[in-house]
Amino acid sequence: MSAAQTPPAASSRSGVLARAALALYPAAWRARYGDEVRALLDESGADLRTIASLAWQALPAWVWPARHLYDRPARMRASLATVLMAWTALTGLALVFAQLTQAQGLRPPGHPIIGWAYWVFDVAVLVSVLVVAAGGLPLWLLMLRSARREHRPRDIAYLLSPAVVPAMYLAAVIVAVRLISHAHGVGQWWFLGFVLLGFAAGGVSAAGPALALRRLRPRGPAVRLAARAAGIAAATMSLAGAASIVAAAGLYSWAPQYAGYHEGWPLGIYLPMVLLAAAVATVSAARGIRATRPSGAA
Amino acid sequence: MTDRLDRWADPPLLVLASLADQPRHGYAITQDVADTMGVRLSAGTLYAVISRLESQGLIEPLESEDRRRPYRLTAAGAHALAVQSERMSHVAFVARERLHAHRGLARA
Repeated sequence: MSAAQTPPAASSRSGVLARAALALYPAAWRARYGDEVRALLDESGADLRTIASLAWQALPAWVWPARHLYDRPARMRASLATVLMAWTALTGLALVFAQLTQAQGLRPPGHPIIGWAYWVFDVAVLVSVLVVAAGGLPLWLLMLRSARREHRPRDIAYLLSPAVVPAMYLAAVIVAVRLISHAHGVGQWWFLGFVLLGFAAGGVSAAGPALALRRLRPRGPAVRLAARAAGIAAATMSLAGAASIVAAAGLYSWAPQYAGYHEGWPLGIYLPMVLLAAAVATVSAARGIRATRPSGAA
Repeated sequence: MTDRLDRWADPPLLVLASLADQPRHGYAITQDVADTMGVRLSAGTLYAVISRLESQGLIEPLESEDRRRPYRLTAAGAHALAVQSERMSHVAFVARERLHAHRGLARA
């Protein structure tokens, strides 16, 4: 073994940047090489070029994950966590769409494409929610039992967040609406506030089980079932998102008088958000489903 | 003397060559490659290469020394390095011969 020379120590700032760059790598890669890279940076120093190179090389580590680091259960759990977050975002967007169009007490415009888009949207959302419930419940119960058996109150709290946080949010919204509503509803700024608070509540609700997945590391048939259900749920909720985009574009194009949908900017915000969440959900779900197959290497 | 790593350098080959005589850990590889081959391997490039070579079974890790884990060539890695070295020697030979002929023509 060649003796290592003693190089200048990395400054604290570059050390922080280097560790931030290392955080960009997949968890399995970090678990395998993280200590070694940190040791190398401590010995050799971390200038900006080194940090930039380290950050840049994280991209191929994600795109072409090393076969010898491929951990199928870990891949499924990571996909489940990502799909859950993206699915929750899509569901939140779908609820906003439903609130702004279908829940206004107005008859939908007579254009057939808008009518079909509404129908596809409703069915796809319903199927997606049912699939999430059916596919996720066994895994959720498995983790809850595990957390209770091992006396892990924090994980129990994480697992209960999808029930507790939305209930708290709904209670807060109901109380607030009763206090502030007038003849024309709650007003657009209050509505925007409720929407943002709803997305925050959705994020917390989804983050709870995602953290529990990471901490409890469940394995077995329940994880495989959930990964497959996540694929169906992501696809159907993405379909609902696409249908809502068609409906919103139809309202903008063919029925601008309907409920005031003559402004283009809401669609300009809604469209990229749906596309981004749907892309994240479907790509991650596909990786999770691939990991359920015995030969599903990287 | 070290050069910026550019398209002339083949990082996997440099790492295999560095491990050809003895096992080395990451920092020792970068030092050896810089000292003997004149190329500076960054941490990102080095560990991308180590991960790939390990995945291909061309190198293997040894017991960790604190946080520093040494690597050594496998038999497959030694074979790959020998084959690639032969190819490079042939390319270098052809290049030298033709350059020599080119200079001779230029003088004539």
